[in-house]
This record gives sequence, structure tokens and C-alpha cells, in this order.
Amino acid sequence: MKQMTCPLNGPRNISEFAYGGPVVAEPDPAACTDGEWTDSLFMDDNPAGRVREWWCHLPTATWFIAERDTVTDEILKTYPAAP
Amino acid sequence: MTDRLAAPAGLLIDRNKPVAFSFEGRDFTGFEGDTIASALTANSIRALSRSFKFHRPRGVLTMAGQDGNTLVHAGDSPDVLADRVRITPGLQVRALNTLGGLDRDLLGGLDRLARFLPAGFYYKAFFRPRPAWALWEPVLRRIAGLGRVGAPVSDTGCDKQYLHADVAVIGGGPAGLAAAAQAARAGAEVVLVDENPVLGGALTYRREASSDKAARAVEAADNVTVMTDTLCNGWFSDNWLALIRDRRMYKLRAKAVVVATGAIEQPAIFRNNDLPGIMLGGAAQRLIRHYGVRPGRRAVVLTANSEGYGVALDLGEAGVEVACVVDLREPAPDHEWAEAVHRRGIPVLAQAAVWAAESDRNRMRGVRAARVARITGRGTCGADVDRFACDLITMSCGYMPAAALACQAGARMVHDTEQPIYRVENLPDRMFLAGAVAGVYGSEAVVEDGRVAGHAAAADAGFRRRGRKPARRHEPESTGLCHPWPMFRHPKGKEFVDFDEDLQIKDIVGAVGEGYDHVELVKRFSTATMGPSQGRLSTLATVRIIAEATGADVAAVGVTTSRPPVIAESFAHLAGQRFEPVRLTPMHDRHRQAGAKMMVAGAWMRPAYYESETYESETQISAEARNVRDTVGLIDVSTLGGLEVRGPDAAEFLERMYTFAYAKQPVGRARYVLMCDRTGVIVDDGVACRLAEDWFYVTATSGGVDGVYRQMLWHNAQWRLGVDVTNVTAAYAGINIAGPKAREVLAPVCEDVDLAAAAFPYMGVREGRVGGFPARLLRVGFVGELGYEIHVPAPCGEALWDRLVEAGRGQGLRPFGVEAQRLLRLEKGHIIVGQDTDGLSHPIEADMAWAISRKKPYFVGGRAIAIRETKGLSRKLVGFEITDPAAPVPEECHLILRDSEITGRVTSVARSPVLGKVIGLAYVAPDQAEPGSVITIKVADGRRVPARVVEPPFYDPDGARQDM
Amino acid sequence: MAMAMGADEGAEIAAARRLGFADLSPMVRSGYKGTGTLGWVRDQDQAVPEANNAALAWSDGTVIARLADTEVLLLGGFDGADAGHRGLAAAWAEARPEMCFPVPRADMNAEVLISGAQAPAMLAKLCAVDLRPRAFPDHGVAQTVLAGLDAVVLRADLGRTPAYRIVFDIASARYLWRCIDDAAMEFAGAPVGLAALRHLAAEIEG
Repeated sequence: MKQMTCPLNGPRNISEFAYGGPVVAEPDPAACTDGEWTDSLFMDDNPAGRVREWWCHLPTATWFIAERDTVTDEILKTYPAAP
Repeated sequence: MTDRLAAPAGLLIDRNKPVAFSFEGRDFTGFEGDTIASALTANSIRALSRSFKFHRPRGVLTMAGQDGNTLVHAGDSPDVLADRVRITPGLQVRALNTLGGLDRDLLGGLDRLARFLPAGFYYKAFFRPRPAWALWEPVLRRIAGLGRVGAPVSDTGCDKQYLHADVAVIGGGPAGLAAAAQAARAGAEVVLVDENPVLGGALTYRREASSDKAARAVEAADNVTVMTDTLCNGWFSDNWLALIRDRRMYKLRAKAVVVATGAIEQPAIFRNNDLPGIMLGGAAQRLIRHYGVRPGRRAVVLTANSEGYGVALDLGEAGVEVACVVDLREPAPDHEWAEAVHRRGIPVLAQAAVWAAESDRNRMRGVRAARVARITGRGTCGADVDRFACDLITMSCGYMPAAALACQAGARMVHDTEQPIYRVENLPDRMFLAGAVAGVYGSEAVVEDGRVAGHAAAADAGFRRRGRKPARRHEPESTGLCHPWPMFRHPKGKEFVDFDEDLQIKDIVGAVGEGYDHVELVKRFSTATMGPSQGRLSTLATVRIIAEATGADVAAVGVTTSRPPVIAESFAHLAGQRFEPVRLTPMHDRHRQAGAKMMVAGAWMRPAYYESETYESETQISAEARNVRDTVGLIDVSTLGGLEVRGPDAAEFLERMYTFAYAKQPVGRARYVLMCDRTGVIVDDGVACRLAEDWFYVTATSGGVDGVYRQMLWHNAQWRLGVDVTNVTAAYAGINIAGPKAREVLAPVCEDVDLAAAAFPYMGVREGRVGGFPARLLRVGFVGELGYEIHVPAPCGEALWDRLVEAGRGQGLRPFGVEAQRLLRLEKGHIIVGQDTDGLSHPIEADMAWAISRKKPYFVGGRAIAIRETKGLSRKLVGFEITDPAAPVPEECHLILRDSEITGRVTSVARSPVLGKVIGLAYVAPDQAEPGSVITIKVADGRRVPARVVEPPFYDPDGARQDM
Repeated sequence: MAMAMGADEGAEIAAARRLGFADLSPMVRSGYKGTGTLGWVRDQDQAVPEANNAALAWSDGTVIARLADTEVLLLGGFDGADAGHRGLAAAWAEARPEMCFPVPRADMNAEVLISGAQAPAMLAKLCAVDLRPRAFPDHGVAQTVLAGLDAVVLRADLGRTPAYRIVFDIASARYLWRCIDDAAMEFAGAPVGLAALRHLAAEIEG
């Protein structure tokens, strides 16, 4: 089983985590078109390589960001979502 | 035990402890420590089972649990490896793949039809015409199919345990022992795993070897945990290793892994090479040294390396007459063992091969002679054949690295044509090889290789400082161990390449001829390497034959992909014990005492209804519902999700999370909440109770609350509002008391809250004491009657339940279950998220536009809902009724039809006792949604039932009853 | 809460040393959560662990575990003192500090203590986190999954005996008790009362 390092709890089995989708900024609802909004919901870039993703450590409901390589599935680093 | 040798032979057996068991109905005796195979061999039994396809008798091949030859049925277990599983008193063992017993198998003559049954025969023979397969399948399944599952097994007693190590060493042979010792010296915590009962690996059975010193050193180290009799059956991400010992699966997480699993001796390929009595050199040596068993009486030793001469000497010392040594090489190189063989007068035939083996007329006795011929070229022999009578042929022709674990981790097997040998390359980080698996042979070189690997693994695990880096002083000896072509195609065939699947050379050549010219395609067409031994003994030969047939280099052919498990494992091990939490409400015991029929609701147990001797369940549910409408009922709603949303931005937070408006919600009031996801799909609902300006108590559905809580935190990880959300679901017991007499029953036990309609109106929220317990009271109306939802600290729930039951005595109060509640809410037209909504339902089509605030700038899903609105509806949730009492009652998910077109489906339906008709909710086409429209429901038996669309709520449309 | 499971205190102490488990659910338990929590607790002149997932004991026996930068969990001491809890609760009610909110730990959680030399081996059947003393220090905290349940595991040795306090969902209390009972069987583990735990706690460490 894969391991992931929770910024709060350290390395844990991946079964303690849930995936929360890619980190993307929601467009400004007041300024964007319907098409842009729809794209932001349904169109993911899905790049081969380094991506930033939301992950949640389930027992503590801790959301954080993981950088992962989609080619090797290597988790490169994890850090809190806080700025 | 006619073939039992005298002590000291027999490292693993205890001669003081005889064990009686049976095989094929006959009684035998072995010793404690014997495997089924060694005990039977000691009793001069040669054939242990029959093969999968041709039902050929098969016997000991590896004595290492590497082959499928010795699969037997033992006790309750089908398909156990006879050379791995030890005998126990009274164990009943039977051969596999026989019809009427091992020695008179009715299908024993199948192999005479072998030329009609080439690889892939059933694709062609039994599928044309297409329906033919249905007739043939049961016949073929009866003939093939290995062991039979049938024993009544309930709790297998299998479970799991987690383990942790800095360094895991897999394989306790000389390389593994050295690696473990070195890593331990560096300070690492080591787990050393070996599948055998004792450490030492090849040192325990090869000639002139001793494992004592190395094993003792490792066993003495207090930071080494030794796990013998333990199979490492799989490698998974981040060095997560699956270990099986007895009835337990261990999940070992190691910072670094040393794979020291050795090498697997390979059989030679010649006619009838599968007869009982033909075994690997290592198998003969294991029988002698491990079990004190003489493997035969007269042997022909086939070899291509010096190991074979060691086997010949061992056999001689064990009282086996060695008829001759057949050496595939020319000339046989010098070696002290070869000289010793010469000195003993054993004839050595160089550049010769066993061209064919001859079976005894009694096939249970296996081989009776070897036909030896001179090698004339690669895979060919001359016509002059010498016949040597024998009951044992040993084979020492080469090795394949036992690299399954490394390959599972991403390593590749690469052919080194020079040696010729396979090497393992492309190892992942934090994995190291040591010894024969790395292609390193020779006693000193192997130990040095182990030390180097152990040192490197410890360093990777963070133990860098201690211990000097070990040196390599001895060259590895791998040259000449593996013969490049120990395969001899015979005009009459039966040279088995894959014993599991009864595949001969021509089957592999034939597969290539059919156009399957890649190793993975040959595998799938011919089933080569797919049997129980997973290609450990057949990959090498298969690849060589493909190379020859396609004219490619062996290195270019590659090998098949390696996946877990290494050895067949039982589902019981995988399943282990179940960890499925069951959540009980504080009033659980009261429900059981009241005769509740409990149902599973997510992780919770809830009363479906309360059983009575007088009524059927449906009548019971109706009666419970009726009682709520007529007098008063009590339901346990503790499973309802509860979230505390607190902080200066609490109202703003709810404005964004939910569809409704909360900024101006007064303290002391509850308001419906509807949550959508970002795409506008309904995901949850409940009520928000404003307890203070900066404090909401929000309910959520039982199944949805964990997800709602997580979503809230996710959004606020981005919004960073001044709000804190706490999931307090389990902290509160909830009881809903509902019915026209609810106020009457509650008033005497409610000390400090004025229940009068004016003081505490519908959708009001109060804090006070009920039955002496601190409580939150919500006037909500899910079931559509005057009702109060009382939330008290969970530890007070049972006592409050008792107080309310007591208060309702003589007032007609009775508890009601989830089924009655579902009926009551349907009468009121309230949806259940997840039942009346699905993964696409948005508030407009669910007829919940009323729950959307149009004035606020933003809420999750708001923009998506607005976009959906511009696109128009594709369906709508409506109420319907069926007034014909004779019509069949539809069920949930029955389809709505317009002619032959499906326009929707039923989501909720029930016969309402209070309304006297069938009511329900259904998705229909937008143009069917007008009240008064007639829709057609197709019920299970195909009948079409007309129903009329009506505007919910079906009952008390003005809400007068809940407003009382 | 049960002081003893039976009449034989010696046997119970022996069990607690080998593998004992006790239901501590009735003991006092509280918690605070919110971005203002750590600062406010410190302002009450009470020590807060320096790091997350660590615990320390106050002078009255109360154990405070820091679960996050925004949350603390308070467990009762074995002598039954609850002054720390009561003091903090009273101070909170009076001050209503900003962004610091009580968590109803006594109502939402059950608590089990597992003690004895075999406790780590038994826990390894339920939990994937390495809880052995060499990897998990005294007063260490692990927020993880145990027998399929979210749980806070806090190592709180009793004198010389390793011990773990497990705080988890109260609605799953019977389920987890059954799991522990089953997992403890191979080690001859047994339920023990508070008296045996106090006896071990009084033994000098070292």
C-alpha cells in the first residue's frame, strides 16, 4: 500500500486519505461566462507530470496539498493549504 | 518407512514423534516435521497426484513448494502443496485430477489423445457452433479444475497483523543471513523472513554446506526478528510486503528491502521428463538432508554443472546406486566433486543427454529407465541410445533468479547471453538484491554480496554511521552453472515445458505458428506459465523455444510480467477478519427490548419497525404511522448528523455552503438547508438552528454528515472565514416526538421551555431541560404532525427515552421505526436525499426552487444551477397517486413509460393507510409534470399501471397539523 | 466505572501488566477547538504541548493532547481529579474567548485503555501505525484508524507498564470492545478495573 505524508500526522497508509481533485482557482462568478464556469467544473488539464492536488487525511479531516507526478505516481511533497 | 535414512540425515524431522496420516485412503506413518511429499517418498510412494490436462501421474519435482506437481487435497483444503504442507495426525490427503482414484484414474489414458489436444484446443473444438460450449463446459470442468471446494468452511480463523521494520530481508539463505547481520550491525531493526522451517537456505541441504554459524549469529542479534515458515507473497508500493504464516497475513512496512530469495533450479526438457522419480538435483538433496529420505534406489544424474556431481556423491552416500552421470557439457570441467565421482567408479558420459525417460508399466511407479544419447547439436542427439535402468533421474542444469518480488516492484529480467543467465535490472529505490537472485554464486561471494546489500539497505533506512562498508574480495562464480539449451525435442513429443498445463515443445512452437509471436501472446494462447507454479519452472524454456521459433535472440524475447501473489494464496488470508464498525444509538437496548426489527442504515443500526405477534410487518408499519397521525409517536433520530458551526462568520459560511438565506435568520429559529456540490447537484439536506448570532447547530443526513463536514472544511481551507466546524453527530441523542398529542405528553417533562404554540412556533428552536437533561428542542415537521425533535447529550439518551415513554403511558404513545417515518414523510412529499435524488439531481428538477435564495451573490453550486436553468429541464420530480385499489403497487426504480420511451422512474412509493391510495414520487418528462397528467408505470411483471400526477404534499397540504 | 472486575486483585494486576483493557468512558473528558484555542489555554496559565500530536500532564493529573494548531483534547487523571477540566470550563463560560469552542468530548467519545507488555503486539492487529514503544514515545499521540474506526491513540504509560488510551466514537463502543476482546485472546488479555491501573501507575518508573 502506498504511503502519503500528512503535514499534521506524518506518513500514513494511503487508505487514511481521500483525494479531493486538482488545485484550481474558481473563476470569478461575476466576471466569467457560462462557458468558462462550465469548463472550470468539468475540464481538467490532466497533465503528464507534476500536478497539485487536494488530499484529506480522513481521521482528522485535515485538508492539504500534495504535489504528485502523474507519470510515476510519486508523491513529491505535501504541505498545508494555509498560505 | 522403507526409504527412510538413518540419522543424522533429516534436519527437519523428529524421529521420536511418528505421525499417522492417510493418502488415497491408505494409512501411512511419517515423522513430525515431514511434509506430505517427504513422508510419502519415505514410504516409497512416487506418484502424488495427476496432471491438470492429461491426468499424467506426477511426483516430487522441487521439494521447495515451487511446482504444481504435488498439489493435493489435504483435510479441508483443496490445492495444497504436498512438498510444503506438513503432515499432522489423522490428516487425510487425496490426489487431484483423478476420476476414481490416483492409481486407477478413469481418465488416465487422456494423454494418448494428446495429439488431438494441442494448446488452445478448446478455443477451436468446443466453441463451434457457438452453443456447443454450453454442452462441453461441464464435461471439461469435470476433467480439469484441480481441487474441489466443498468443505463447509465458516470462520477460517485467519486474521492480519501489521509489522514495521527498518530493513526487511526476504530469504534466510547465506546471502540473506549476511545481509540481516550487516544491517543489524548498522543499528537497523531487521525482519528476516524465510519460507522454510529453519534458516540457512541452500546451506541446509547442499553438499558440504553448513548454516549453523551464520544462522546463530542472526538469531542472537536482538534487533533481528526472525520469521521462519513465512512466505513473502507480494511486494506493494512503498515496500509494503505481504507475509503469510500459518493463518495470519502480516503486512510489513519496511524502509528498505533486501531480496535474497535465491534461484530456482530448472528442469531439463526431454521426452517423459515429468514421470514420477524425475526431480531436480536440489529436490533429491532436500529429501536426503531435510527429511532423511532416500529419493530412489538407482539414479541417473543429469547435469550441466558441478552441483550435479555433488548430487551424485550425496546420492551414493544415501545408499542410492548411481548408474551414471550424464553431463551435457564437453569436456566436463575439473571440479573436486567430479574427481570424487571418478574415484568412486561412477561412469560419466560427457556431451550426452537424457534423450527420453521410460515409464514403468505400473505408471504409479514412475520412471524405470533413462535413454541416454550423445549430443550432436543444440537440442539434438544422435541415434545411438544407451538404456540405463533407474527409478530416479536428477536434473542439475541451471537456475532462474527467484526474482518475483523484485519484478513486482518494477525490476526487469534481462538475459545475459554470455553466462547464460538472467539478471535482474532496474531495481526500484530502497530495494536491494543479494546472492543467487542477483546472479551471484559461490559461498564466499554470496556472503559478501549479502553484506554489501545489508549495509546499503541500512543506509537507505537511515543507518549510515555505524559499521564499516563491507568489501568484495571474491569473484562470483556464475559461469557454467546454467546450460544454454538443456532441451531435446523428441519426434514423439511429451517433452514437457510447462508441467502445470501439460504443455510440450510443440505447443509453444505451435502457438508461434498460429501467429502469437510475442511472449505475452504465447502465454495467453498456450497458457504457458499461467498455472500454479506461475512460470517459475517454465518461463526459461518457453522463452528459449519462442526465440528459436521466431529466430530472435533470447534476450529480445523478454519474459512475462510478474504480479502478486508469488505462490497461490487462499481467499481466507486475503479476507482476514472483518473490521466493519457498527454504530449503535444510546437507545439501542430499548429498541431491542421493545421488539424492534433492526435494519442497517450506513454504519448505524436503526429500528425498521417494532415487531408484534399480532401483525405482519406491513400492517405493523401502517399501524405505527397511523398512531403518529392519530395520537403520538416516538422515534430515535440519534443517527441524524450534527455539526456545530461557530464563529463570527458562521452565517456567512452557511450562506455560501447552502442554497437558502441565513444571514437574517433570527436566533431561536431553524431553517431548512439544502447543499449542492459545485456542479449544482443536491448532496445533502437538514436544518440549521441558530443558537446565537455566531452559532448554528446544523443537522445533516445520517449517511451524508461525514462528507458534508469534509466539504465544509475543504471550502473553508480556501475561504478562510472566521468559523469553526465541529462534527458532533455522536454527541447527541435525538428523539422526535410527533403527533397531535406531542405537546401534551412533552409538557410535564419539559421544565423550562414554554411549549405553547405562540411561544414556541413551528420551526422554532429552544434550549432548556427535558426530563432533567440539558436539551435542544427543534419544532420541525418531517412527518407532518405537531412535533418536537429533542437533542440531549448521548449519555442521557436512554434515560430520556424512558422518561418520554413513561410520560406517554396512557396517552397512546408508541415508538415508530424508520419504515413508518419514510411513509409519513412521503405523505408530506418530503424528499430523501439519495433516494429521491441521484448523482445528477439539481434543485430545480427536484422541485425545490423554493429552497434557493436568489438574492445572495454566491453559494456552492449556485452558478451551475443558474446555467442549468437556462438550458431547460430534462426531467422533473413529481408526486403521483394510484387510486385503483386493484392495481399492482409499483416499486422504487420502476420505469415511467410513454409508449416505448422511458421518461423516468419511481423514487419513492407506498400505500398510504391514512389516504387510502398508493402515493409516490417519480421523475417524469417535463411535459408530463403538470398536475393531472397521467403517467404509465411499468411494474415488475411487465404490467403497465396508470398513475395521476398530483402536487405534493399528499397529506395536509396547508401544513396545519404541524403548525398547531 | 469498575474499580475491579472480580475479587482477585493480584490476578487483575498481573493481567494489566501482560495485557489488560479497561473502559474509561465514564472518566472526565473535554476539548476545545478553533484558531484561538491554543492561545487561550496558555492564557489560563496551563501548559500546552509544544508540538501537534503530543501530550503532557498537568499537575492535577489532567492529560492535555494537542491534536492540531487549532485543537486540544483533555483526558482525566487516574486519581479522578477533574480540577483542570472544571477550571477551564468555568473560565470558558465566563470569557467566551474568540474562536475557541468547547468540543463535547465526554458525550461524543468513548475511551478504552490498553495496558501491558503485549499491548503493542495486540494493537498491531488493529492499527497500521507503529505503536511499539521504540517508535511511539510516552505521551505521543496518533490520530489514525483503529479496527476501521477513527481514533486518537495516546500513549500514557502506567509506571513501568506501557499503556495506551484510545479515544473514539461513542456509538461504536460495543463494536470496538468486541474487536479488542477478540484481538486480546491470543495474549490471554483480560478486562481490568481502575484499581489495577492505579496500582501499576504507582510503581516507580525505570
